[in-house]
Amino acid sequence: MIERTVTVVPENGLHARPASQLVEAANSHESQVTIGPADGDSVNASSMLAVTSLGVETGEEARLTADGPDESAALDAIESILTTTE
Amino acid sequence: MTNTTHEPLTADLVDLTNEPETKPEAIEQLLDLAVESGRVRDREQALEALQAREAEATTGVGMGIGIPHAKSEAVVSSTIAFIRAPDGIDFDALDDEPVRLLFLLLVPADGGEEHLQMLSSLSRSLMHEETRTALMNAESVDDVESVILEAIK
Repeated sequence: MIERTVTVVPENGLHARPASQLVEAANSHESQVTIGPADGDSVNASSMLAVTSLGVETGEEARLTADGPDESAALDAIESILTTTE
Repeated sequence: MTNTTHEPLTADLVDLTNEPETKPEAIEQLLDLAVESGRVRDREQALEALQAREAEATTGVGMGIGIPHAKSEAVVSSTIAFIRAPDGIDFDALDDEPVRLLFLLLVPADGGEEHLQMLSSLSRSLMHEETRTALMNAESVDDVESVILEAIK
C-alpha cells in the first residue's frame, strides 16, 4: 500500500467534475483507492456518494492511499486531477 | 419577498405522490416544489443553474441517489426538496444504478460554502443503508422530514 497527501487545487474543492473524474480514475484502476481528510477517516474513492460526503474544500489536504498492482499509477492519476485547476 | 429564516426542508417540499420517470422530469418536479413554496424567485434561472451543474458532471452519486444542486441568485433561501422514483430512473449515475431517492439542494448566491456542507452532510448520512431504507419506506411526509432534518444536522 502506498500513501500520499495532496493539496486540493480546484476552486470548488472536491466537487462536481474533479470529484467525478476522481471516482472514474479510482474505478479504472485495479487497486483499492481511498481518500480522506488529512486527519480524519478515509472513504472508498470509487464511490461518488462517499467522496461527496467528505466535503473537501479547495486548499485543504487530502490523504490518498492505494493498494494493488497499479497503485502507483492510480495515485498519479488522482493526484493530477486534484492538483489541476478546473 | 420576505427574508424569513426557514428550515431548509419543510413539509411542502416533500412530494410522495408524483413519481418522475426521467431525469429531466425529476429535476423539473423538484424545482416546482421549491418554486411553489416560495424558495425560488426565478424558475428559469434556477433551472439553468441546475442544468449547467448537471452538464459538468452528473449528480447521480450512486447507491440509487440523485442530488441535483445549484447555488444561484434565483434562490431565496437554502432549500432541500425530496421526491422518490420507486421504479428507478436513469440518472447517468457513475455506478450505473437506477436512482430512486431524489434530493434537490438550492442555496442563494451569497450562500458561500453552505451548499457543499449540506451536500456532504446529506451524503454522509445516505451512505448508511438504514437512512436510505427509511426514506424509501417512509409513508408520510413527516417521516421523510424528520429523517432528512436529522441527516443534515
